[in-house]
Amino acid sequence: MNILRPSTQFMRDHLRLIWIGFFAWVLVIFGPVTATYFAQDFMTSVTFLGFPLHYFLVAVGGPGGALVLSVIYSWRRDKLDQKYGIDHSSTTGVETSSVDTDQPAATDGGVDDTAGKNDTGDAVEVTDDGEGIEEVTD
Amino acid sequence: MIEALAIDPTPLQLLPEALDQSFKAIPAITTIGMLVLFLVIGYVFAVADTDDMWVAGRSIGNVENGMAIGANWMSAASYLGMAALIALSGFYGLAFVVGWTAGYFILLIFMAAQMRRFGKYTAPDFVGDRFNSDGARAIAAITTILIGFVYAVGQAVGMGLVGMYIFGADYTVLVVLMMAITVGYLALSGMLGATKNMAVQYVILIVAFLAGLWAVGLTQGYATVLPQIEYGALASDLGAEFTEPFRGDTSYYLWVATAFSLIVGTAGLPHVLVRFYTVENETIARWSCVWGLFFICVLYLSAPAFAAFGTDLYLSEFGTMWGDGGMSAAEGDVIVVLASQLAGLPTWLVGLVAAGGIAAAIATTAGLFIAASSAMSHDIYTSIINPEATQRQQVLVGRLTIVALGVVTTLTALDPPALIGELVALAFALAGSVLFPMFFLGLWWENTNRQGALAGMTTGLVIWTVATFNSIVPETVGFLGDLAGENNVFFPTLETWVPAIGSALVAVPIVFAVTIVVSYLTEEPPEETKLMVRQCHSPEPMGKDMTAEDVVQSTDAVTDGGEDAATDGGEDVVTDGGGDTVVDTEQPETETDDNQSGG
Repeated sequence: MNILRPSTQFMRDHLRLIWIGFFAWVLVIFGPVTATYFAQDFMTSVTFLGFPLHYFLVAVGGPGGALVLSVIYSWRRDKLDQKYGIDHSSTTGVETSSVDTDQPAATDGGVDDTAGKNDTGDAVEVTDDGEGIEEVTD
Repeated sequence: MIEALAIDPTPLQLLPEALDQSFKAIPAITTIGMLVLFLVIGYVFAVADTDDMWVAGRSIGNVENGMAIGANWMSAASYLGMAALIALSGFYGLAFVVGWTAGYFILLIFMAAQMRRFGKYTAPDFVGDRFNSDGARAIAAITTILIGFVYAVGQAVGMGLVGMYIFGADYTVLVVLMMAITVGYLALSGMLGATKNMAVQYVILIVAFLAGLWAVGLTQGYATVLPQIEYGALASDLGAEFTEPFRGDTSYYLWVATAFSLIVGTAGLPHVLVRFYTVENETIARWSCVWGLFFICVLYLSAPAFAAFGTDLYLSEFGTMWGDGGMSAAEGDVIVVLASQLAGLPTWLVGLVAAGGIAAAIATTAGLFIAASSAMSHDIYTSIINPEATQRQQVLVGRLTIVALGVVTTLTALDPPALIGELVALAFALAGSVLFPMFFLGLWWENTNRQGALAGMTTGLVIWTVATFNSIVPETVGFLGDLAGENNVFFPTLETWVPAIGSALVAVPIVFAVTIVVSYLTEEPPEETKLMVRQCHSPEPMGKDMTAEDVVQSTDAVTDGGEDAATDGGEDVVTDGGGDTVVDTEQPETETDDNQSGG
């Protein structure tokens, strides 16, 4: 695993989302204060809702922007999961009952079936397309 | 330090004179009531959960876990210190608002789900297991203890100052008394086996904070429904100092360095990461991060409004706010309570706001002390000093750690070197410089190895320590202050470029470089470790109680068999031995660790 050299399609798609989000975040968080540094007169004289613009963009725009970006990222990431047929909720129902008692069995059972590491039927479906092993080890 | 922030250089010892200091029965009862409520709720939940605490603990949903994340953030720094920084330092104070919220996005995109998959939920555990090294584990443990100490000093100052409003006693007496109460609270919650119910705690504290804000806004005619935005109308009346950017010594560089430090600190703080392990899958880890940020935003959009109201009330009462004869640092740190008092709110309501501040500080300190005691007894004492330690010895070491920390924290808090918010920010700079690079590289670059981690963490610790000794420690330690001379700073140039609060801006790139270079120059980590890192990013869902390690171990025989023999057959024999011992010793941890969820 190397953040700069993703080796599966899923990782490439995921990292694209991550980097776009990251650059948008840099703009939202450090953009206004940098703009204030370079164009102080403009940023402090314009007002918005009574605030000087620079104050509003930092005090409200910073936390608010981070929150909006978080929602967008999580939503897009859910979409990505959908695209790759990943369903995280599927493991929970089955696992709840078996976690404590079956732990050793699960780890041992994994030996004869690569995808059986989650010992749920769903996990096998995910890897059915043959790319499973590649993706696991990546 | 204080000079650097362009704050009136009145010594902090100067007490909050404007605060009404006398014993008040109802606020005192409210404070104790809140703490009892935390304990009772924690106890009830603990009893309900005894059947299967782990499974129950992990089926926490998005919103509830988000609130727990919010509660972690509700320390004296957020509750009291944030408004103080905004009121006293103006635009520079906003670097704290931004830093303490924006970090959650970095946590979300780079770490939350991956940490959930890795499955190690304390910093020493993660570092020790990822880098197969007890030495790295020990450095992480020392860092955790240091973070706990610096963080707790800020809390103790908050307790003492707000305590003056409620109990009316001397600051020194109150710091000692409050710390005693904290240790008592800690002991009680330990005896009751109370797992803190963080969600309930969040609700109580935010209600106390917002009730004060709304009451002040309504009674003074500042705001009606949305004080978080309406204070904008007030901003221009408060004087240029309130909004003026980069005034005094608060340069653009200092602003960015501070915000950066707080951001990486957020993503490196041990007690934040714990919250992602307590959820059942990574989707919930992500969404609870989003909810957590939402609940934190509720507080952080409100704090500037409280600061603005407090500033206006102070100005109309005393005429000057900044500079000579203006608001002292101690008054600033209680501005939330002071604003409520100056607005003429009834005593019970001011008391509610004050009680919230004290309860937040006590609960946070208790959580920090538990984490520190576990780091000492488990990760340092048992892992390194005495591997054959009995349960009793471990408990003893843990308790001694708490007592020692309590004493040192109390002594430091008697003559605090900086504002509450600044003290806590120091802890963030430390977490950001030492732990964040390890988490990030550990999760995103599989070739990061033991030697790289050891070198990187040591570098981070050294940079933070030098920056802190340069400008913060001389404030407290008299003879060092004399040695340092003017402004209590040894090397002003160093202070300008590596300010203690913003030291992570310089430290993080250096630590990254050191870790990467050393990792390249030394042997690659064992295949099993690499597989664990890959497992953290695999799209494949993982079971509820699974960790990356479990998955790797269960698939070892199948997937690795082939690869290993082909690629590193020779190396593996050597490195595996080391890896395995770590894996073995690590099983019993599960029992002690669920205590650490505090913060």
